[in-house]
Amino acid sequence: MAKTPANNVTKSNRKWVIGYSIAGGLLFAIYQFLLPWEGLPIGIYDAVYRWMPPAAVNESLVYVMMALGLNIVVGYAGLLDLGYVAFWAIGGYCAGWFMSEFFYFLNVHFFGSVPAEAPGIHINFWMVLVIGGFVCALFGVLIGAPTLRLKSDYLALVTLGFGEIIPQVFFNGENFFGFNISNGTKGIVVVDPIPVGVKNLGPFDYGWKLLIFMLLTALLVFVSLRLRRGRLGRAWLAIREDELAASMMGVPLMRTKLASYAVGAFAGGVGGVAFATHVNGVYAERFNFAISIFLLAMVVLGGMGNVWGVILGAFILSWVNGNGLSAFGSFYNERMGTDVDFPSFTFLLFGLVLILMMLFRREGLLPESRLKLVLNEEEIEDAEAVGKKAK
Amino acid sequence: MAKVAEVHKFRGTPGQIRRQRIERIGAVVISFILAAWILVNIIESPSQFAQVAVLGLRNGMLYALIALGYTLVYGIIELINFAHGDLFMLSAVFSSYFITVWFAQDESNPAGWFTFISCLFAVMAFGATVNVLIERLAYRRLRHAPRLAPLITAVGMSFLLNFIGLKWNGSTPRQWPTVIPNNDIYIADVRINATTILLFFVGVPLLLALNFIVTKTKSGKAMRATAQDKDAAALMGINVNRTIAFTFAIGGAMAGAAGLLYQQSIGTTNYNLGFQLGLIAFTSAVLGGIGNLWGAVAGGLLIGFIQGLNDGLPIAFGQQWSQTVVFTILIIILVFKPAGLLGKVTTEKV
Amino acid sequence: MSNVLEAKGISVQFGGLLAVNSVDFDIPKQSVVSLIGPNGAGKTTFFNVLTGLYKPSAGSINYDGRDITDLPPHKIAESGIARTFQNIRLFGLMTAQENLLVAMHSHLKAGITSTILRTPKQRREEREAEERAQEILEFAGIGKWTHEFARNLSYGDQRRLEVARALALQPKVLLLDEPTAGMNPQESQVFIDFVRRLVKERDISIMLIEHDMKVVMSVSERITVLDQGEKIAEGTPDQIKNNARVVEAYLGKAKDSK
Repeated sequence: MAKTPANNVTKSNRKWVIGYSIAGGLLFAIYQFLLPWEGLPIGIYDAVYRWMPPAAVNESLVYVMMALGLNIVVGYAGLLDLGYVAFWAIGGYCAGWFMSEFFYFLNVHFFGSVPAEAPGIHINFWMVLVIGGFVCALFGVLIGAPTLRLKSDYLALVTLGFGEIIPQVFFNGENFFGFNISNGTKGIVVVDPIPVGVKNLGPFDYGWKLLIFMLLTALLVFVSLRLRRGRLGRAWLAIREDELAASMMGVPLMRTKLASYAVGAFAGGVGGVAFATHVNGVYAERFNFAISIFLLAMVVLGGMGNVWGVILGAFILSWVNGNGLSAFGSFYNERMGTDVDFPSFTFLLFGLVLILMMLFRREGLLPESRLKLVLNEEEIEDAEAVGKKAK
Repeated sequence: MAKVAEVHKFRGTPGQIRRQRIERIGAVVISFILAAWILVNIIESPSQFAQVAVLGLRNGMLYALIALGYTLVYGIIELINFAHGDLFMLSAVFSSYFITVWFAQDESNPAGWFTFISCLFAVMAFGATVNVLIERLAYRRLRHAPRLAPLITAVGMSFLLNFIGLKWNGSTPRQWPTVIPNNDIYIADVRINATTILLFFVGVPLLLALNFIVTKTKSGKAMRATAQDKDAAALMGINVNRTIAFTFAIGGAMAGAAGLLYQQSIGTTNYNLGFQLGLIAFTSAVLGGIGNLWGAVAGGLLIGFIQGLNDGLPIAFGQQWSQTVVFTILIIILVFKPAGLLGKVTTEKV
Repeated sequence: MSNVLEAKGISVQFGGLLAVNSVDFDIPKQSVVSLIGPNGAGKTTFFNVLTGLYKPSAGSINYDGRDITDLPPHKIAESGIARTFQNIRLFGLMTAQENLLVAMHSHLKAGITSTILRTPKQRREEREAEERAQEILEFAGIGKWTHEFARNLSYGDQRRLEVARALALQPKVLLLDEPTAGMNPQESQVFIDFVRRLVKERDISIMLIEHDMKVVMSVSERITVLDQGEKIAEGTPDQIKNNARVVEAYLGKAKDSK
């Protein structure tokens, strides 16, 4: 039997899994063991801290998680979601509510990682990950239910709207109909450490956190690939390609689209909780519309639908945005004696990524072989397909 | 044989009729709530209400001008030009530089007024040119691509213009002097700034001119024909590319004028302006009925009015909820009545 | 009941235009019926009503004893009415097998959790689905293209794949929309034989919209003629051939071959 596309997919996936595991192991080893070693030449230490400090790596991994979530919505099902940051926010505040002293008037402990006298709600980090995921999934369904039947431009706008409204609710959340749900702009400071067996990982345990983040990312990849292989993934791809034909073949459109929203939102929640432990708090002004677009650019750059491409794209872009531009900037300015403000070029970078990718390489850096064709073929008009005679 | 009487009587399938009834009830309820809210506030503080209403309508005029650009482009190529709001912002910055930096005017005197008028022409040309360029360089190539592609490109373009604004204007808001009369006038205890009146004096003729162009000129007719059916228009000898470029040009010109008017009446520029106002303007276009020019105007005035009331009145959500209020309106319209107030529900024969 | 599908009094109105005017249409069990008529007669509109794409302005559709008039398209497909498209609408970037598997979506039961975990039940379900898909592909004569991307297939094979995909819905009624468009006489003949085999080997009824009169005449048990939204004739091929109104509707072109 000839080489089947199905066999090819499994083989290439295996390659990537191995690559990912190696990269992950290496990164962890470097940041946990190599960097703190006294014998390390100061030059290398400085270089690593300048170009890729461990905090930046962890932050990039959070972006990767979010991008993987968005990939399910935009990449698999083809639904343009411009408000994904809302799930980031909700996930973050779930961490803030259930892993801090925010609810100081309560005292709820459930396998928490702080002493029992500490006020507030303190639920185990791993459970909060799941809670955050499900809360976000619920919101995904609530948002999606009335809006998913809109056509793509309107859907983009509505999601944009929610992406503005929800963060604004948290921003003004100090007095939300009389309740304080977010501490407003002050944010919720100090989120509980992550419990792993006997140890508690605080905000400075970068190495171990890196490992955990990589594991979470791997989990999301696993879920993405498994779903893609099954009937839900096929339904998503069918919807992305030809929604009308899909519904005529028995695919329930609303339910399937909602599923993509819910799963994507779940990933957003997980990322949000992880991020809260990374920055050790939840701050309202960090959640803005630009993040939704950054994530979109990451998915577009990587190749819509290809998890490995999205991981690469997300890692690269988030690093450039977070650390790369400023590190490169100071490097360049030192060498050239100039005073160019490189970080301010972020918008230019992301704008160009979106525009140039759409104009010249719609399939992304690592295209899913099929996508190359979908995005380059002319749109079949519904009218044409169901019998309206061509002029 | 088709019974003529039956044809006229048909109101819709049972499902459609039910939906129409729900819509009607919803519209009545919403209007009632709005009217009640307005009434309460008028009673509470009538002069403040008038004050706030005037300000709201002024903003509404600006939104209307920007909304026209959105609705024109969407009407003709069914694309939401996300970058349009940022074009407005760049026009405001352009106006600032034109008047105050290049022509060094900072007072309201005949020289200033003359500069203002020249700037009006200049900024409209600026807006038109930039918009046409955007279409030519980015959107035209993607005209036949699947929907996702031009949408994403538009978003990217918005970021690009945003960046240009950031570099040109700087990252902090800047204040600019006004060169048109800006004294306060009092009408029945309500303070109205002269710039507000001037805004309408410039804006309304622009709208009328636009209306004239669209309804009475050959290019305007070409626009409307292309908006209805691109292929048929091409077969009738209409140069579709040129018509689309023309549409972008007038839309851009409107945004340009809005930029100048904003800059002169409100006096500040901020690189983030485009995003905030752009989305509000698009909501206006949708509220009025996307594709409908008078709808854009009506929507703009209405949204400006409501937003002004919300931000300024004592019994309201307040300014920090401004965006949320507008976006909620957007979402409600798109979900329940996507055709907007003046848009037609087209029963398309597929 | 000897009819698998009964449509009564179907009218479809678009704004001020009455595209279909009070049409009755029955599909008997295990039969092949055709719907013909000049361009603009309302055939495709009626077709779209049967599959749930449009809701009729008046009338009802009964399928297998149930009223399906208000069901959404995917539920109608799920209950056993399948269709092909005039302009081929395959999922070009999915393999032939995947195209069929999508059509089996409503008959498969795996949920999110069982898919992620690849439970034995889910794996078995997928395997059985793949076997069924293979069987249908072989029946349609394209068994060797199982793992080929649909858009790489030849035109004729794509048409077969369209039908195979529709068959994957396990339909009792198969609606074919101009299935021989673009085919030469030999290909049309092969298709006719295929249709005959379908009806004989699978308990299925077939409804065709066709312009190729040769195909229509040779394969149909009953022909219905629409003109300007109304049914103007219905009967066996011989009856229709000699019906003056039908001839008139087609402006004298009674035998028409593309």
